[in-house]
Amino acid sequence: MLKHLRQSGTLIGLLGIVLFFALQLPDTFLTARNLLNVSQQISMLAVTAFTMTIVMVMGDFDLSVGSTASLAGIVAAVLFAAGWPVWAGVAAALAIGVVGGLLNGALVAYVGILPFIATLGTLTIFSGTAFLVSDGKTIFGRDIPPGFAGFARSGVTLTEGVTVPAMSIAAVLVLLVVYVTLEHTIYGRRLYAIGGNVHAAELAGLNVRRLRLSAFALTGLGAAMAGLMYASRVASANPTQGAGLMLDAIAAVFLGMTMGRQGEPHVMATLVGVLILGILDNGLTQMNVDSYVREILIGGIVVAAVAMSSYGRARG
Amino acid sequence: MKLTILATAAAIAWSGTTLSAETVAVITPYLAQPGTQAYVEGFQAKAAEAGWTVNVIDTAGDVAAVISRIEDAVTQKVDAIVINVDPAQVAAGLQTAKDAGIPVIGMDAGTDPLLVTNVTSNGYAMATETSVYLANRIGGKGGVVMFVFDAFPPVQIRGVMADAVFANYPDIKVIDRITPDVQDGGIADSRAKMEAILAANPEPGSIAGVWAAWDQPALGALQAIEAAGRQGEGIVVTGIDANPQAREAIAAGGNFEASMAQDFVAMGAAAADATRRAMAGETIKEKVIYVPTVLITAANAAP
Amino acid sequence: MDSLSLIGLSKAYGGVPALRDVTLHLAPGRVHALMGENGAGKSTLIKLIAGVVPADAMVVRRGATAVSLRNAADAAAAGFRFIHQELNIVPQLSVAENILLGHPSPRRFGVLVDWARMHDRARAALAFLGAAHIDVTRQAGDLGTGDRMLMRIASALVVEEGQAAPCLYVLDEPTAALTATESAKLFAVMSRLTAQGAAILYVSHRMEEVMAVCDDVTVLRDGAHAMAAPIAQTTQTAIIQTMTGRQQTAEPPTGPVVRGAVACDAIGVVSGRLRDISFTLQAGEVLGLAGLEEAGQGDLLRLLLGMGRVKSGQLRVLGGPAPTSPVQAWARGVAYVPRERRSEGLMLGMDVRCNTLLPHLGSFGILARKGPETVRTRDLADKVRLRYRAPDQTVRELSGGNQQKVIFARAIAGNPRLLLLEEPTRGVDVGARAEIHALIRGLSAQGCAVILASSDLPELLGLSHRVLIQQDGRQAALIDRAGLTADQLLARVYSPNPA
Repeated sequence: MLKHLRQSGTLIGLLGIVLFFALQLPDTFLTARNLLNVSQQISMLAVTAFTMTIVMVMGDFDLSVGSTASLAGIVAAVLFAAGWPVWAGVAAALAIGVVGGLLNGALVAYVGILPFIATLGTLTIFSGTAFLVSDGKTIFGRDIPPGFAGFARSGVTLTEGVTVPAMSIAAVLVLLVVYVTLEHTIYGRRLYAIGGNVHAAELAGLNVRRLRLSAFALTGLGAAMAGLMYASRVASANPTQGAGLMLDAIAAVFLGMTMGRQGEPHVMATLVGVLILGILDNGLTQMNVDSYVREILIGGIVVAAVAMSSYGRARG
Repeated sequence: MKLTILATAAAIAWSGTTLSAETVAVITPYLAQPGTQAYVEGFQAKAAEAGWTVNVIDTAGDVAAVISRIEDAVTQKVDAIVINVDPAQVAAGLQTAKDAGIPVIGMDAGTDPLLVTNVTSNGYAMATETSVYLANRIGGKGGVVMFVFDAFPPVQIRGVMADAVFANYPDIKVIDRITPDVQDGGIADSRAKMEAILAANPEPGSIAGVWAAWDQPALGALQAIEAAGRQGEGIVVTGIDANPQAREAIAAGGNFEASMAQDFVAMGAAAADATRRAMAGETIKEKVIYVPTVLITAANAAP
Repeated sequence: MDSLSLIGLSKAYGGVPALRDVTLHLAPGRVHALMGENGAGKSTLIKLIAGVVPADAMVVRRGATAVSLRNAADAAAAGFRFIHQELNIVPQLSVAENILLGHPSPRRFGVLVDWARMHDRARAALAFLGAAHIDVTRQAGDLGTGDRMLMRIASALVVEEGQAAPCLYVLDEPTAALTATESAKLFAVMSRLTAQGAAILYVSHRMEEVMAVCDDVTVLRDGAHAMAAPIAQTTQTAIIQTMTGRQQTAEPPTGPVVRGAVACDAIGVVSGRLRDISFTLQAGEVLGLAGLEEAGQGDLLRLLLGMGRVKSGQLRVLGGPAPTSPVQAWARGVAYVPRERRSEGLMLGMDVRCNTLLPHLGSFGILARKGPETVRTRDLADKVRLRYRAPDQTVRELSGGNQQKVIFARAIAGNPRLLLLEEPTRGVDVGARAEIHALIRGLSAQGCAVILASSDLPELLGLSHRVLIQQDGRQAALIDRAGLTADQLLARVYSPNPA
């Protein structure tokens, strides 16, 4: 019973937050328009966090996702400015994400550097590359083709005034792909086995190195995708714009991990974490709460949820 | 989780705002910068007189979050929104506000058709004034080192004006046009870059002046000149913004001779004035409202 | 000095007795050997008198005075010093700091380290050991193993003001990492210590050493006292027989080996610590690996699993060259049951199904298919007689014996042709042990070759057709099981090449 309470504590927390805002902001919070806004606002963080879950399933993590996102946006923008078509710029930016992820994976799995140190190093490398490629400038205006910037403003109109943003749809697609990959493929089960006991997995004949390499590549791909979504939303690319994604993504996965049976991450639980962060931002802004108070609150919630969960686990 | 809800409720009680009269959201990614804080102070002083509820939102450097917060403010049905960020990057949010009929005022933001107006200092004029000051001081000839930052549009235009002024003096030669790394504020890296240039130009008199697009590189260059023991060569240094550290250096009477003072508080007040006019339904014709600036030299540097 | 009596030592872990009413008398100036097979209770005894594990019952007297040992500080205050098999050193710190680690450092002005005094004290301790050649300012990590041991002993010699002089040194397998010359140095130090009136409790598996340097011996068996005598009045044979308890020699394996295919063929293999490994393993044959702890049994198994590289010699496994990774080994039909089931074998937080099918998931296609996997898991669980609730039960919830069966189920799931077992019944109850043994015999009868590393002699004798004895990584002997008794095997383990 206690265990179930612990596992569902974070979900109950999310429902509590929703209920609280629904009561405080009766006219505006639970409207289709606002909820669709929220879904669009969190879409970049969501894509980063969903794909971050893939490496965290193995007990690793990736600090470089933020700078990978920035780099991907910059690469696309620079190529657009050089006259490449939208599809080619996007493909190149995604490829950069995969290459960055493979570099992380190679450092972790083949060279044997701790993920914290390896990805801290590549964080700086990718960020430096983004500055180098862009000359430190923000690329905006005519350099960004309308077809690219338009993506973030497009959507599927359901009924009059209710448009599901394209960014939200993209995030849901990523969610489904990651969910199927982690929970319903042999590949995903092997990643969980590595997270369960990497030494045992190796002795039992899993190709641990290759699995880790590929998982980091997927996280890099996701980060690049998030970076492109970000660039599309702000119709510009700046070498630091993805920096905020990394900590929030890790926080979202940690929030989700409190719901795991053994404290392991699941992408659907990560979604709960992302929703908590996004809804708090949205609701507290509408309630005129000071932005610094918001930050303290969000940090406090992450710590409280994880503390409750480990306290619950320690007691059985 | 009960705890969380209690904490939320407490925080909200603490911020203690009620929805009454006009509500204005001020949204910026750069609240940690001293200049931005001064705008906001000036704005809030006026807003308090008018009895508005002001919600200041800092997204800590995240530009996409500015769009999100504009959307939230529109959902909340505020009466006006003030932004301090490049409007081209948040066009999605501005469009949402326009569709909802909520006026958005730029506070040193940049010009954009989706803004009612933008309140700012005249960057062209400021840069012209310091570069002309420098050119006159060195008698229209000699080597000049420029510190610029083209990634940030308001600073980029300053560089353009200085380029034009120096190009117009046939005997002025721009030795180098440097973009310092600003992650640590810009002083340390500018100092390092300046030291390298001093080392590369050891002849006394080979560097006549240093023109910086804002104060931090000017301060860094000053430190480099003094550390190299070349303060006696008459190298003239100018900055822009006249921050307290720069005023002190100018007042000391060394190589750092001039800067331009922007009146951030007045800009905030002017933005509040424009907001009042927009909320009253007035159509504001001028797309940019300039707030006067002052050349600061040793004569008037005392803060 | 007064003699030291340890009376009525008892300790049970979770209801299983590890030590039962053991009494020991340690006379000053004498070296007392403590002997027994693995699991006989030696480590538990040491932990009790070190104060790191609370005893269920224990009286310690020094002369007529009772000594209380509630924690490690008590043991230190009583003058007990412990030198363990693992040389716990801090390699980044200097020799002097390592020697004075755990003692308050000498200080200057209350905050600064008084290096001069620290070095003097460390030098004095080393000089007493006849080890003045060690530079106390060097980083400890730079020392050779012998010097490290001397450093550790020097550390045990340091006495704080107001503390009793050391009266008992406990040396746990001190020569395991030493060369013969280094060992000789250690024995010289031991005689200095006893000359000062201290008692030494000496734990070792090396029979010759014990006979040469010890004055008395106590033998433990199954946690109980089995024998105590002055060394002069007993023999090596008597000690070994007491350790094994004249065990009933288990029945040798029944049924002939299915001769035919060669599963594994080694000729003069050298790899890491391994030397002179030469044997041919037939399909269906069980080869036992024996030797003292860490004599290279694990290294040999891991080499066959593809985790080592053959430096010289020839090794063929299942008709091909030696595998170069566990991935390849499993794919070729090798299966492995690791020694540490929790740290090397299982994903404790995951379910039985995933743990069982882990190396074989690929055979189900790309998508995980719960149905067929569950069927397969149930089938395998029945084969190993796993007692569990359901295939999605978390492995953590199973008993030790059943956890071990999960690893077995995993090993047999791919119908292996070479099964590598390392201590397959360690920490497993009697019933499960018998079932696992039956399983191994069954696999062997079906033609699966088995290599079994075990420190459990009856297990080795009951399952193996031949026994390979290793000593410090070297293959010391390859003996036919037929006609071999437990005593003979143990004697060969202790001294593999009888004169």
